[in-house]
Amino acid sequence: MANFTDLTGLAGVASATAAAMLLLPGMAKLARLHRALLLCAVFVLMLIPFGAMPFAAYVRGMTGDLSITTLVLLFCAMLLPWCGAVQSRHRLALLGLIALASIAFYPMALGVGAYDPYQLGYGNLPFVAVLLLLALAAWFRGYALITLCIALATLAWAVGWYESDNLWDYLIDPFAAIYALAAIMIFGVKTLLKWPRGRPR
Amino acid sequence: MMIPSGRQKITRYLLLLLVAIAFGAALYKAAHHPGAALFQMPENSAEEPQSGSAKPEFHTDFASTQQNISTHAASLVELGDGRIRAFWFAGSREGAPDVVIRTAVFDPVKNTWSPERSIVNRVDTERALLRYVKKIGNPVAQRAPDGKLWLYYVTVSLGGWGGSSITAVTSTDDGTTWSSPRRLITSPFINISTLIKGTPFLYSDGTMGLPEYHEFIGKFGELLRIDNSGRIIAKQRLSDGKSTLQPVVLITSPQRALVLMRRSGNSPDRVISTVTDDAGRHWSKTMPTTLDNPDAAISGVVLPDGRMLVVLNNIEAGRNALSLVVSADGGVTWKTVYQLEDQRGRPTDPLHFGQIAAELAKATDAGITDAGAYGKSAQRNKCVAQHCDFEFSYPYLIQTHNGDFDLVYTWNRSFIKHVRFNRAWLDQRMEKSKNGELH
Repeated sequence: MANFTDLTGLAGVASATAAAMLLLPGMAKLARLHRALLLCAVFVLMLIPFGAMPFAAYVRGMTGDLSITTLVLLFCAMLLPWCGAVQSRHRLALLGLIALASIAFYPMALGVGAYDPYQLGYGNLPFVAVLLLLALAAWFRGYALITLCIALATLAWAVGWYESDNLWDYLIDPFAAIYALAAIMIFGVKTLLKWPRGRPR
Repeated sequence: MMIPSGRQKITRYLLLLLVAIAFGAALYKAAHHPGAALFQMPENSAEEPQSGSAKPEFHTDFASTQQNISTHAASLVELGDGRIRAFWFAGSREGAPDVVIRTAVFDPVKNTWSPERSIVNRVDTERALLRYVKKIGNPVAQRAPDGKLWLYYVTVSLGGWGGSSITAVTSTDDGTTWSSPRRLITSPFINISTLIKGTPFLYSDGTMGLPEYHEFIGKFGELLRIDNSGRIIAKQRLSDGKSTLQPVVLITSPQRALVLMRRSGNSPDRVISTVTDDAGRHWSKTMPTTLDNPDAAISGVVLPDGRMLVVLNNIEAGRNALSLVVSADGGVTWKTVYQLEDQRGRPTDPLHFGQIAAELAKATDAGITDAGAYGKSAQRNKCVAQHCDFEFSYPYLIQTHNGDFDLVYTWNRSFIKHVRFNRAWLDQRMEKSKNGELH
């Protein structure tokens, strides 16, 4: 009998795989209903055991459980035809925050220096308080996507949604970090290219 | 400026409600997080132990019996009835998919080992964890205050040993039956690179301390604090950089401990140390000790009088010598009290190597009737072309409640050798080495 946290982990991986289908050529041409059916089919296929384990379990062995932030980003992409695009400033603000957090967090967590920020994720009260302030600041400034990601990740950690006891694992993962860093870099390059040339001195 | 519609306003306030619920739950959880705790002193350190016998006793044998197989990384735990359970991994080669965790029980009254058996394998582990597992390794066990036996072992899904994670199984009947495996999440980078080797210990509130180490990009020691339900409640870094592995925690008081670490990489060929004076809240900058270390594991215990007893390859290269050393000054100076193994300078051609290994096996356990097979197993695992290397490595030393000592280590990657001695024997050895050279 599978544990609850295994089911949530597998469901996350299956969702991510379904979302990845959207990248395939021709997907944009499909009718909404066909697209929805395809996404559902991929999701279910990933969870059906073939041999010893479902496909999602093999992927999960490599990727671990996906952070809530990654899932929110993926669901935004999957639900695009039905809910419309997230405002680009919201998306950019979230990706910028993830990129900044990644640059500061991963090197230290992987051994650069004596301080390990990952330890804060095991129930550190000031860390939770700082996240609350960040979520409220984003809410006041109207960055709903940031608020949503932080709140959902924190709630998932509080109720033990995944195997991990560490809040960082709900907030961020290497895939969100790589995606955010790439997106911010592309945005930066595009902005520079659009920058008016020959400005008056 | 756009004026939000009624629907947008509702969405916005629903989001605020979500924030309130999420952080209400999270702050409650964080506020009820276990606080800091002191180290728990081993029970045998409360007073001078009542040894089973005042007569010096020193006994050697093999815990494992399987031949022509690669065997490594043994650990020990004392059971509720005073017997000793050993764990190690064995398979066609280290890291092979057929590697399993095996166990056997030593009866100190009869001086005999039970038949060994397999308790954990790769396929059952991946099915239970619902994630692909490529290989398994290093098992380390601990008996919690509630009597539950915890066995932690390394699992790899991605890459080599640097991609390891920790998996745990538990037993409520001292190892006869085991629970389904559970994964510990200890690293933010797809949970890779947490490995174990050192002996676990207890905190004063009954939570468990598990020394572990990281070896992806950096190589450094860490400590996990785990509650009785298997939940990780804290993680600490003991060192940083690229030069330390496999921490061993030697607790000398509820606040004070010395950690010894295997050196790795380009650091000096010395055991590396760090100390705490506040039960692990802060650790000193790492320092090389006077003990040699050829990038090999170490193990140790603290005697009731505060002296430290450590087993290690006290040489700069190779693993062909294993020493028992003691420190009476908190790890500043060390003295060899007994040379457990020493095959430095012995012939390394397969023929002589096999003969010597067979003689060593016979010397370890006089009851062995097929010493030649032990020699052949050693040849299988330690000879490449026409060159063989003796290996006595990965020691794991414990002191039992009655004050006796049990040590296991890898014998030529082929068997797990067991050494048992009592306090009277140790005192005798210490007396003999009183005027010995300091390290």
